[in-house]
Amino acid sequence: MKGLLLKDFYLISKYCRAFLFIMAVFIGVSFLGEGNLFFAFYPCIISGMLPMTLIAYDERDNWNAYAGGLPYTKAQMVSVKYLIGLSTSTLVLTAVAITEACRMVSDQSFLLSSYLIFLMTLLSICLLVPALMLPFVFKFGAEKGRIIYYVVIIIACAGSALLTSGDKTSPFLLSKTGMGCAFVICFASVLLYCISWLLSIYLYKRREV
Amino acid sequence: MNVLEIRNLCKSYSGFYLDHLNLTLPSGCIMGLIGENGAGKSTTIKLILDLIKRDKGSITVLGKDNKTHFRLTKEDIGVVMDEVGISACLNARQVGRIMKYTYRNWDDAAYLGYLRTLSIPEKKPFKAFSRGMKMKLGIAIALSHHPKLLLLDEATAGLDPVVRDEILNIFSEFTRDESHAILISSHIVSDLEKICDYIAFLHKGKLLLCEEKDFLKEQYVIVHCTAEELRQIVPSAIRGIKENAYGAEAIVQKSKVPVGMSTVPVDIEQLFISMVKEDCLQ
Repeated sequence: MKGLLLKDFYLISKYCRAFLFIMAVFIGVSFLGEGNLFFAFYPCIISGMLPMTLIAYDERDNWNAYAGGLPYTKAQMVSVKYLIGLSTSTLVLTAVAITEACRMVSDQSFLLSSYLIFLMTLLSICLLVPALMLPFVFKFGAEKGRIIYYVVIIIACAGSALLTSGDKTSPFLLSKTGMGCAFVICFASVLLYCISWLLSIYLYKRREV
Repeated sequence: MNVLEIRNLCKSYSGFYLDHLNLTLPSGCIMGLIGENGAGKSTTIKLILDLIKRDKGSITVLGKDNKTHFRLTKEDIGVVMDEVGISACLNARQVGRIMKYTYRNWDDAAYLGYLRTLSIPEKKPFKAFSRGMKMKLGIAIALSHHPKLLLLDEATAGLDPVVRDEILNIFSEFTRDESHAILISSHIVSDLEKICDYIAFLHKGKLLLCEEKDFLKEQYVIVHCTAEELRQIVPSAIRGIKENAYGAEAIVQKSKVPVGMSTVPVDIEQLFISMVKEDCLQ
């Protein structure tokens, strides 16, 4: 599977420079801004979209049929996109988490519970976007998968707007219930990511390339 | 040993049916799949690679069913599809690195050797390659992990005659090793005639024949005669007739040609066209 990972690394470094630039700008703005969480969440949404972008390039280049002749299983071909999604999300999540921590400390607004909820929300966004989209893309292809892309974007933007409009020091968010809710959502996202992974393998095995 | 065995293979799409295909490719041989567009050549190769699901039948590649541990079997197969699906931004050097992590038997020296022999630029991105150049890179990749079986779908299409000849020589050289074999489909029948040991005619999903090339060429001849002379030939021995104002040209079983009638050797392309037309008439 190393070969597939290397191929996707080459593709990211060639085609996704704009994505990387936008992510860096948003992370920078989130540090300099007034704590508007949209700028922190958006890079996570973009990083979650990277696997779909790679699949679209693969389809354009007819890579899937070609890779069918290489010694890879369909499960490996699917798994590599989930691994890429995890790797890019981990990098972005780490960068956003460090930036936000620095901003909170410099603003003297650092609250551990609020920060933990923020991290769990970030992780949920990073995982939910590819978890919801990838099975559709593996089943119907990147072109038809675009429909679900728009649905997820709308949900993600609406979710971000809701989160950013709330008071981050509200009693609910700082309460144990708020923390519990964030933990449940985070756990559900991890579970959903795993289910999505298995579902994509199942669907792709049945797809004729 | 048979490198490839296909038994009663069926696959249906709307408007197409691959009808109980049976093929056997012995090791050390090259088999050419000849057929018009939509005859089922690419479908057959995709079925062998398990890229599409068969409706019925069995496929054994290098002694193993292609549904069981096929990933390992593919280590010994080199594939060139009609469209080489390398990512557009990659260059030949990067492709080499990817394949090094893909095939256990990847041979960097052999790959670089093929790049040099076939004049493939190492740093030019794939998207800037001509179709012929893309095919050459596909062939270099397919050969550089020392496969035992080559599956080539229109692999010589788009190549100029000089390079085609060069590549056909590489293929012939490849099957000098008795454990190697090639299944090649092509529209360029003359290429297949040059290198193939076996010829299989596919027409509308049906196998019209699968024979040794030399046997086919020995079995049939072209007869140039008048319409009256043509009537002397047993109709069942005639594979195809082309009539014009000056007489007739018929492809006939050699053993059934009346004594004294002048004959010339048949080529595979003529035989294929006549058989397809005959099949259409029936």
